[in-house]
Amino acid sequence: MRASNVKTPIPQDAKPDSICASAPSRLCVSLTWTVWIAAAFCLLVCATMLYQHSVAAQRDPWKSPQLLKLKAQLRGTPNDEALKNEIRRLDFEFRQRYVRRLSLDRTGGWLLVGGMAVMLLAAKQASKLQAQPWLPKPKPAAGGEMRQLAARSRWSVAAISIVVLAGLGMVAFTARSPLPTSAVELDKLLGRGPATEGVAAIVSLAEFQANWPRFRGFDGGGVSTQTNVPLTWDGKSGTGIAWKSPLPAPGHSSPVVWSNRVFVSGGDATKRGVFCFDAADGKLLWQRTIENVPGSPAKQPEIPEMTGFASPTMACDGRRVFAIFANGDLVAFTLDGAPVWSKNIGVPKNAYGYAASLAVWPGKLIVQLDQDDGAPGGSKLMAFDCANGRPLWQRGKPTHDSWASPIIIQAAGKTQIITLAVPFVISYSLTDGTELWRAELLAGEVTPSPIFADGLVIVVNPSTELVAVKPDGAGDVTKTRIAWRAEDNVPDVTSPVSNGGLVFTIGSMGMLTCLDAKDGKKIWEHDLDMEVQSSPAIVGERLFILGTKGVGVVVEAGREFKELARSQLADEFLASPAFSSGRMYLRGTTNLWCLGKANHK
Amino acid sequence: MNGLLQRSDRREEALSQRIQSSHSPSLRPSPAGRGRIVFSLFAEPRAVFAKCASENSEPSACCPLSLRERVRVRVKTALLMTVTFALLACASFADQRFPPPDFSETNHQLPITTTPAARAEWLQYLDVAVLTACLGVAVWFIYKHRSRRGVYWLGIFSLAYFGFWRKGCICAIGAPQNIVYGLFNPGYTVPLTVIAFFALPLIVALFAGRAFCSGVCPHGALQDLLLIKPLKVPAWLEHALGILPFIFLGFGLAFAATGTGFPICRYDPIVPIFRLNGPGLMITLAVVTLLLGMFVGRPYCRFFCPYGALLKLASLASKWRVRVTPDYCTQCRLCESSCPFGAMREPSAGTVEPKLLAPDRRRLGWLVLLVPLLIAGGVGIGNRLGTPVSKLNPTVELAERYIHQQKSPVDYGVMTPETLSLQRAESDPETILKSAADLRHRFTLACMIFGGWVGLVIGLKLVSLSLRTLRTDFEPDRGACFACARCFRSCPNELVRIGVMPASELPKLTPATQPAGA
Repeated sequence: MRASNVKTPIPQDAKPDSICASAPSRLCVSLTWTVWIAAAFCLLVCATMLYQHSVAAQRDPWKSPQLLKLKAQLRGTPNDEALKNEIRRLDFEFRQRYVRRLSLDRTGGWLLVGGMAVMLLAAKQASKLQAQPWLPKPKPAAGGEMRQLAARSRWSVAAISIVVLAGLGMVAFTARSPLPTSAVELDKLLGRGPATEGVAAIVSLAEFQANWPRFRGFDGGGVSTQTNVPLTWDGKSGTGIAWKSPLPAPGHSSPVVWSNRVFVSGGDATKRGVFCFDAADGKLLWQRTIENVPGSPAKQPEIPEMTGFASPTMACDGRRVFAIFANGDLVAFTLDGAPVWSKNIGVPKNAYGYAASLAVWPGKLIVQLDQDDGAPGGSKLMAFDCANGRPLWQRGKPTHDSWASPIIIQAAGKTQIITLAVPFVISYSLTDGTELWRAELLAGEVTPSPIFADGLVIVVNPSTELVAVKPDGAGDVTKTRIAWRAEDNVPDVTSPVSNGGLVFTIGSMGMLTCLDAKDGKKIWEHDLDMEVQSSPAIVGERLFILGTKGVGVVVEAGREFKELARSQLADEFLASPAFSSGRMYLRGTTNLWCLGKANHK
Repeated sequence: MNGLLQRSDRREEALSQRIQSSHSPSLRPSPAGRGRIVFSLFAEPRAVFAKCASENSEPSACCPLSLRERVRVRVKTALLMTVTFALLACASFADQRFPPPDFSETNHQLPITTTPAARAEWLQYLDVAVLTACLGVAVWFIYKHRSRRGVYWLGIFSLAYFGFWRKGCICAIGAPQNIVYGLFNPGYTVPLTVIAFFALPLIVALFAGRAFCSGVCPHGALQDLLLIKPLKVPAWLEHALGILPFIFLGFGLAFAATGTGFPICRYDPIVPIFRLNGPGLMITLAVVTLLLGMFVGRPYCRFFCPYGALLKLASLASKWRVRVTPDYCTQCRLCESSCPFGAMREPSAGTVEPKLLAPDRRRLGWLVLLVPLLIAGGVGIGNRLGTPVSKLNPTVELAERYIHQQKSPVDYGVMTPETLSLQRAESDPETILKSAADLRHRFTLACMIFGGWVGLVIGLKLVSLSLRTLRTDFEPDRGACFACARCFRSCPNELVRIGVMPASELPKLTPATQPAGA
């Protein structure tokens, strides 16, 4: 075709200009019109999208005055179901509109692309048709022009380089940073003076054992290594009482002690807090109200008064102190009361309110949450990094509601977390939460916590039986690793205690029973004739039992019953005692008591 | 159709006549006629003739509209487009973030944010295969077929595939950051597909110049499509702005080396167009780039693209180069303005005045000595630049916020915003502060290298502008040429090659020889 074109003769009088003079005119006009129509279309799409945005902004659920007003009304009348439904309806409507708008935006975007494509193509073609072809003009000698160009280019490069370097320099030499440049500055910033230099971030197990860092002591067994705890005391005369301090808030959590500080939690539906007392004189050193916890419910759950919001006992890792409440708020403070981290683990769905205490191990904080009547995904065991609250692992549990606290033991070469909740006793690896073994032993409402004594995990199936399990199994050990079972005087609320050879239990009505830890055979029983909710504790050779009405009984922890002392305090006691530095700390309903020598440092 | 063909024939005849009859204004005899191939939507390619400067003609000879009307139409069109883009940018600013539902009453636990699954492996290999095929086709179109139309349609395909379908990711432009990040962070393994996207265009550039830019890069293809009325950027400004891609490349790589992020991707003004989404700032930049691209050829590629800077370096050493003429240069200068990207270079002067040699050499010597000084100055600035730049790192920012709170405590109740941030970072203050200090150190090192690089770029550019270039023909600059093939059909030899014009109508010329004294 092209070859034939070359051969085609052309009229001698034909002028190039006349060749292209007429042809593009109609096309050019059509293309110009196309540009206008496409642009108008784009403008229309843009205007529609902008209108949609402006309308949607007014209906933004976050900013909608209508919705905000209704929410404000709801604060005044929190139980107004009609108002709640109206808020939900509006919220749902706004969200539907938002999703519709997203869809419209997407469509609008593509329409714009289409419109722009047509507009640009038409504009390009119109531009081509109107283009003036190039005709070179006479030029001066290229050498001189190129020299000039090179010189001008050098100056322009120099100018832009100066601008760039000056800009960079300005940014570089005006910026300041508060970041520490040396280890000394870093320590100073972190509040670590010379006195605290070299202090490990995670304390040793030995330090844990020397303190009372959680519910029922280091391993949750209720056994203290102290030896000089007072035998008798008298609330009326003050004999044997070092100090007592009024508690700022109600609660059933037991005290925890670290060094010279005693910590308790308290609170109700309106306000919850953590309180730190000086172990020396009972002075309230600091108190912190729990506020602004991320994820904390705006409306507090309904918790029976018998449990309250502060039944779980706090925990302390020697650097921080932790507290959990019935609304799921989990908080951490330094021993000086500075907030470290906080989070909400979800409001526990527990009929009587959440009561499982925290367990702590160097570096790890363990939270047991058994709830929601065993609904799938409801119950779980969680491990957090003590330093920052970072979840280390979480394991779902096939269990129902429970009020027992987990314990951490070292057995069979592993560090195990023992949890009780209907129907299983389950052991988890502390390292990664792997389930090590389980035994189907429990029924009813599990409140007593397990203990680890003489190589056996002793658990209470409330009011039914006491079972000792060997913690060296794997998988389901219900039929393979049971050491013994005991059915005499099984407690329903309090946890057992053991000094290794003997196991002691006490029922709610004061029936104290001594069992042989080896085979579970009853050695003796004795009715103390008092109501007991507090779990017993062993200090040295003595068994301490605290009655609800303030009666304290000390019994010899031996194979024969021998009551050593009986004392009285004017308070009501549901929490379990804590022991540290030759003193016993008791939480009453109104006061925090310290039994021991006064002015003790 | 017959009419169109006949008209085309008459134009070709007229071209031949003009070539033979006119006088050349250039250094060597060249055809006086102006030949240009115009593509329209429906017609066959045809040569469009303009008049010689000596002839009087009416502008309406080419178009029925008068000059004033044409200007009016263009201005209106430009205004209309500006308004449209501005509205589009406004629409993007109006985008809102959707707040999460308030589930505090029902205690509903918000699901954990999940990330979409990685792209299937075979699809990643498909991307590499498509890239390889496109590069091969581009080289064939440029060097063998010499087809602008082929390059154009290849660009359309790349725009659709790598642009709108793959949404600008994966792309070769950001790949150098992955490579550097992988080099400085042993925990990161650079995917093979990323290595392929990084290396293949560069390898091709070592042999065939910027074939990737011609019609494989979706960024370039989009800007090529947008170009309506190219304006000539003065060469001196082109040289000055030409150092910016190298500076941006240095910054992007230094930033990536610290593990903080990929600024080349983050501040890519073309990708939001492919995704029809993006931050307000980037959509605005995209609109500006598009508007600019209508009148300035490939502004992003020429003055911003960091990968283009790498390709430019590779192209300087390429085995083959794009040539306007398929045979020899007739020095007709018809190709002089055929490149909308300012890549066309004219032959250099044959001789140099002896009296100019000494100052030229002196200047070159001074500039060579200046290079190490510039590098040292850049390193010095970079040493201080680490501090402000590191604030862009979220860990450093968090640490500084924490320190600020410690120094000027504000009582927020239990949780301070800084504590919340620390919690989200899942780290304790000591770890954050130590990480921040370590990052600050890395930033300082990276910025020192970056500063030295900036000094080197500036110094070498100044040196290069003081070197004498030896060139006998009109030809595209190796580094600046995007191999778009626009210039091919401005050459009479090309017209002869494709059969549009008989060889007998070309003046009897011989290939140019090396200029003496160069």
